[in-house]
Amino acid sequence: MKTTPRPNLSGALWLLILLSASPVFAQSHADRIDELEAKTLAMAEELAILRAELEKERQAPDSEDMRSIRSESVAARQAAQNAEIAASEWKNSDSVTHLAGYASADYVSPENGNAAFVANFNPMFHFQYKDRILWEAEIEVEIEENGDTSMGLEYSTIDLFLNNNMVLLAGKFLSPVGNFRQNIHPSWINKLPSAPPGFGHDGAAPLAEVGVQLRGGFKIGEQSRMTYAGFIGNGPKLEGEDGEIHGIDTDGFTGDPDDEKVFGGRVSLLPLPKLELAVSGAFGDAAVVENDGVDFEGDPTRDYKVFGVDASYQWNNLDLRGEFIRQDIANEATSIAPEGGVWETWYLQGAYKFADAKWEGVARYTDYTSPHPDKSQEQWALGVNYLLAPSAMLKFAYESNTGLAGESTDDDRWLVQIAYGY
Amino acid sequence: MKKQLLPVIAFALASVALGTGIALSQSPAVAAETATPTQTDPMQFARGAKAWANNCSRCHNMRDPKELRDDQWRAAMMHMRVRAGLTAAETEDILKFLQGSN
Repeated sequence: MKTTPRPNLSGALWLLILLSASPVFAQSHADRIDELEAKTLAMAEELAILRAELEKERQAPDSEDMRSIRSESVAARQAAQNAEIAASEWKNSDSVTHLAGYASADYVSPENGNAAFVANFNPMFHFQYKDRILWEAEIEVEIEENGDTSMGLEYSTIDLFLNNNMVLLAGKFLSPVGNFRQNIHPSWINKLPSAPPGFGHDGAAPLAEVGVQLRGGFKIGEQSRMTYAGFIGNGPKLEGEDGEIHGIDTDGFTGDPDDEKVFGGRVSLLPLPKLELAVSGAFGDAAVVENDGVDFEGDPTRDYKVFGVDASYQWNNLDLRGEFIRQDIANEATSIAPEGGVWETWYLQGAYKFADAKWEGVARYTDYTSPHPDKSQEQWALGVNYLLAPSAMLKFAYESNTGLAGESTDDDRWLVQIAYGY
Repeated sequence: MKKQLLPVIAFALASVALGTGIALSQSPAVAAETATPTQTDPMQFARGAKAWANNCSRCHNMRDPKELRDDQWRAAMMHMRVRAGLTAAETEDILKFLQGSN
């Protein structure tokens, strides 16, 4: 049987023990430990030195350059923040103020009578808080023939924006009956220097009202829309003269002598974006409060109503519009002015821009009928305008007027006007 | 006197109630559009340009957007919203167009 010889391990173990106990091996191990201890001490000293230097550096004041760089950096950062705030605060502040309005200077030359220059201006104020409240007002300032300056509050309302489609107005507002008075009458908008007969004081169209009004608009589909306005106001006053009603004063009053409110409104439909068809009206009571230029009390109330339709259409450079308004005062047998009356007017106007839309030709026909023949008037007005700017016009016009012979309503007139809306 | 006061109060209360009701019930799109005007809407500028062209010239000559600053257009457009019967959304669209074009 063949056997494998085993290695003799006991001999190698003894050899290792002897070597480890030998002086040569012991000496090498001690040196290594000493060397490591020395290095550790050196590193500790070096670290202490670095710490001391770092602390010294921290406590030392900045150098001039470093201070300069740091202060410039801080100043630049602050300036950028300030610029950002300044750029946004006037765009996005909660309150906004805006001064607007319009002014005009006229030269009027009647067929019979003296030609004269006329001047007036109408500042408008807008104060807005967020998108919720707007106070807006317009003052009319005019120079009278005798040199006096007259001033009147055209309107002043606080508008509350209730939602996407509704605004509630309170105060004195332009009458929403018809369109000329509330939207077209400013001189920089009106394409002729004068208002159509019947749209002024004591005419057929109510001017203003004091009360509350709800108005707004809706989109109907992609192209169509509608607008609406409804109001309650103090209503008009009647002026008596020689036992007749001289006129209906619709300037808007804070008093209500007849103690009866007037209700009214306007609804317009725009089947196409630039075609507007509207119907408007109001009803209530009125009473004679002034007779022969003197305040008068105790006259009985009587029915008052007004009805209007208006339309406008724009196509390229063509602008067409027309309006009909009628005010009725009922008879009242016990009144100081028993007989009522009808004040009625209508006009049609066409305007066309040409020569790169710098020039504009205008024609307007108006027929105004008053219970007083000396006030009734039929008028053809022709004009040429030069557009100095989108909101500034130089107007030249001629009016052919037909009224009661010998009255100013029968005088033809030349008119020149420069008007500017700002 | 009391009978005269009633319709005025009723009118005002009905307006506020109706307005509040419609404000609460309006579509989310309109509500978002009117409540958060600062949100970016890539179509708002185009909608504003179209609404500006369709509505402003109904009464007056088109005014140059450069005539007024951004803040002035804010107040002017609120005034025109009342005058022209614009919706809040249309007003906001036109305002963004004018402010982006001046």
